[in-house]
Amino acid sequence: MDSQDAQDDGIYASTSTHQSQAPQKPLIVHVDEAHPFDLESYISNYTGRTAVDRLIHIVHVSPVLAVEAFQLAVQLIQQSRDLSLYTGLIVAYDQMNANSGNQLPNSSNIAKLDQKWIDDVSAKNQAEKTKLEVELKTYANNMIKESIRMAHRYLGNFYRLTGDYSSAVKHLTKSREFCTTSQHILDMCLAIMIEHHNYANLTTYIFKGEAALESTAASNGNTGNGQAVGTSNATQIAASAAKKREKEQIQTKLDLAAAFSHLGQGNYEKVASYIFRLGPPKDLGDWAGTLISTADIAIYGALCALAGMSRGVLKTQLEGSKHFGSYLEQEPYVRELLNAYMGSNFRTVLELLTRYSARHYLDVHLSPHVQQLTNMIRNWAVVLYFQPFKSIRLDRMADAFGWTVEEVEQSVVNLIQTNQIQGRVDSQNKILQAKQTDYRADLFARAIKAGKDVQTANRKLLLRMRLQQADLVVRPPKQQPHYQQVPHHASQWQHIFE
Amino acid sequence: MSQHEEHGPSNNPAPSSSSNPAPSPNPTVPVPPSNPSYQITPDAILAEITSLSHKPVLLSQNLKSALPKESRDAILARLLPGGQDPLGALDVRTNTLGVLWILSARLMVHDAAPPPPHFILDFCRYFDPEQAKLAPDRVTMLARGIERYGYKLNNVAWAIEPLYLLLTRYPPDLSYLTTIHPIFLLACVTSRHFSIALPILQTPITNIDTHLSNLSYVDNLKYHYIGGIALAALERWEEAEDFFQICVGSPAMVPSAIQLEALKKLWLVQLIYRGKTSSLPRYVHQNLSRMLKNTAYQALTNAYPHNLDHLQKLIEEHRQLFSNEMNLGLVVHAFQRAPRWTLKKLTATYLTLSLADIAREIKIDSQEQVRNMLLVMIEAKEISAKISANGTVTFFDQPPQFSKQEVDRILQQVQQQSEYLKHLDRELGKDKEYITKALKQKDEPGWGGGMVDDDLFSSATGPGGQQWVDEPVYI
Repeated sequence: MDSQDAQDDGIYASTSTHQSQAPQKPLIVHVDEAHPFDLESYISNYTGRTAVDRLIHIVHVSPVLAVEAFQLAVQLIQQSRDLSLYTGLIVAYDQMNANSGNQLPNSSNIAKLDQKWIDDVSAKNQAEKTKLEVELKTYANNMIKESIRMAHRYLGNFYRLTGDYSSAVKHLTKSREFCTTSQHILDMCLAIMIEHHNYANLTTYIFKGEAALESTAASNGNTGNGQAVGTSNATQIAASAAKKREKEQIQTKLDLAAAFSHLGQGNYEKVASYIFRLGPPKDLGDWAGTLISTADIAIYGALCALAGMSRGVLKTQLEGSKHFGSYLEQEPYVRELLNAYMGSNFRTVLELLTRYSARHYLDVHLSPHVQQLTNMIRNWAVVLYFQPFKSIRLDRMADAFGWTVEEVEQSVVNLIQTNQIQGRVDSQNKILQAKQTDYRADLFARAIKAGKDVQTANRKLLLRMRLQQADLVVRPPKQQPHYQQVPHHASQWQHIFE
Repeated sequence: MSQHEEHGPSNNPAPSSSSNPAPSPNPTVPVPPSNPSYQITPDAILAEITSLSHKPVLLSQNLKSALPKESRDAILARLLPGGQDPLGALDVRTNTLGVLWILSARLMVHDAAPPPPHFILDFCRYFDPEQAKLAPDRVTMLARGIERYGYKLNNVAWAIEPLYLLLTRYPPDLSYLTTIHPIFLLACVTSRHFSIALPILQTPITNIDTHLSNLSYVDNLKYHYIGGIALAALERWEEAEDFFQICVGSPAMVPSAIQLEALKKLWLVQLIYRGKTSSLPRYVHQNLSRMLKNTAYQALTNAYPHNLDHLQKLIEEHRQLFSNEMNLGLVVHAFQRAPRWTLKKLTATYLTLSLADIAREIKIDSQEQVRNMLLVMIEAKEISAKISANGTVTFFDQPPQFSKQEVDRILQQVQQQSEYLKHLDRELGKDKEYITKALKQKDEPGWGGGMVDDDLFSSATGPGGQQWVDEPVYI
């Protein structure tokens, strides 16, 4: 695979996903007093590739932060070896600049990468690539398994660093074929996929990971028995406890990867339940920071749960989750949000959502879903609010949600039409009334309709039976295809429906 | 002549055997040696008919056996040696069978002397159904002949009356399907006299008797297909839907082209009448709906009724296809009715709305148009609403009302129906063919010893359709 393709798969792919999610107008995130966002403290949670990735996303969507993010990104890129990141950054910045009417300073004026550095890095990359590939070839000729594995691994790592994600995955997967404990490699595959927003392929690797996890657990048992002769019980127990820890860690990573994959498909309820299942933050190991911050997990979990689960389910899931609380500590407003929702304080819920919308939109993974999530949460809120009423003035609802009456009406009408609220709107007097059904009459109507339907169905069936008894069954024609009859029959009634 | 012969107007009507001119005394057609070639002349036949006028069964046998099959119609269609019309010498009532033979031959044989129109009408009005039943194939032939005669007169509408008389007088009652049914309907539909067919269409077909009429499956399909067209033209959508459904659901080993056309029309009628298509019964041949996958029809039903712009585009794009398949009228009608379904949805959402709001929601520009549509819908009892002077429309929920008499009447109907079903069930249990089958199956393992009555319905809908199992027989 040549590097051009790889670049397309890499950073360009990720930017184009954002565009396709919001096809009409480019997303513009405003950051101001009412929607606070602190770039420096945000980005300090991340290291490595994801930091650059996130900065590029911010450059992409926020004109206010673009310059600052651009500078930060350039600094970070200089520590890395991936030139494609830089190209991606420039493209994102120029696009933002063009969209906002060229009011921003030219990209080359703010911060410039050293041309010498670029040449150096690309030369170095090229040299290393050739070296590693030659090595791999030699090992492959010599058929030394362990060396082949190592060569694949080095190549994989190399490609990961230089941003050629598909080649990286390819080599890492190959190296898996040559070794027995493959967990670590899968781990890296998953990380790479998440880095590159390849949500659809994640599932395959999660399955592989889970299968591998089970098989290692089984083989652990076997080796344990085999070694029982020579080793003392204590070490064995210690070893198995360590294994168990490791297993839990891997499970946490797999669950997180599953959450990502469901998020990519917009399956919010699943995202929430996977996140509620995660182990303690330290199980995330090197993923925390290089992929995701613990605060992110709290936000994803809470938003997806609010959007995808009913209040009852949310409550039990939240109570049943052992570790979600420790994620919540990272982001106090999320806890506030959940509490307000549980207390039916919908105005606060919506205000919080608006206030932190910048934070949500600027998150590279969450960004395409924020609109949808917010809508779903709003709908839940309206449904829950109306539940105890028989009729309510729309202006009172508007007051409770902090919306205008028109907004309330619009959202109520949508909910009625999607059958989430059983009611009707008095549009002239701006009143929402719950539907009243005369169950007795309704029952009569339905019984009579059912009776009539059955009678008609019977009549048709009996005729059909008679036809069958008389053997008047359509049979395949002997010679000419039956179709030829169509124009003939049809042409006689040409004029009727003209 | 085979009963499978196409009977469209464009067919070449000449029977293969008779190309000789009618008045020639010597038939040039070779007569099979086994057949006694005794006086097969028109006067001999006439004499036979008059002498056996009180023994129609014998006459029927003689007519069938005495005349050579190939030249039979040619002989029957001839005039008497003196140029006299044999029909003139016969009485329609007492000589029904003879007249039927001669008349049908005269109508169907190419270049035979045409009988006078009023004679045909008289025959249909006064014939004796009992005698006619001895020759069902001649009745079919007569019906086709009348149809052709109408085309020859350039007045298809003329054929309607004799066909109507024939159709109403021949079978024991109208619930029997005959070969005359599709011919009659076709004449009505081609001449656009739809409402004449209504009394026939409103009696549902429940009986099939192949001894009464030499039916083929095409007759059934055509009757219900053309019937559906007639009812749709009369805007009796619900009944049209029924007819198309029967056509689509008729037993089939392979789907027929008529069924495919019927399915297209069924969908369109359902869009017009219900705003959406409903799923087909299980017994409909599976390939049928598969054939319409990815066609303009499916695209249309998917977009209906809310996506007006898309609908408009679809219709424009496929106008030629719809027009070629004679469905353009229905398509356009469905399109025009699309706003109603949106409006109906609004009634479920709102209690009050202004005319302007409605106009905006259903994408109609003029409020006057909306007002008219509302009025029509209120009149047709499709919605219950009130328009006040300031343009506010108030929708009501009209709770369904039932009088005691109505409920009683419905109950009675249902009881009758269930009695009838029970009766049918018993009849079937007595049926010889059924008992042999059931006994054979009883010996096979896995036969659960019959189903309960409740399963009657589901077993009837199954693909087998004939596997009727009746408990009472064995108790």
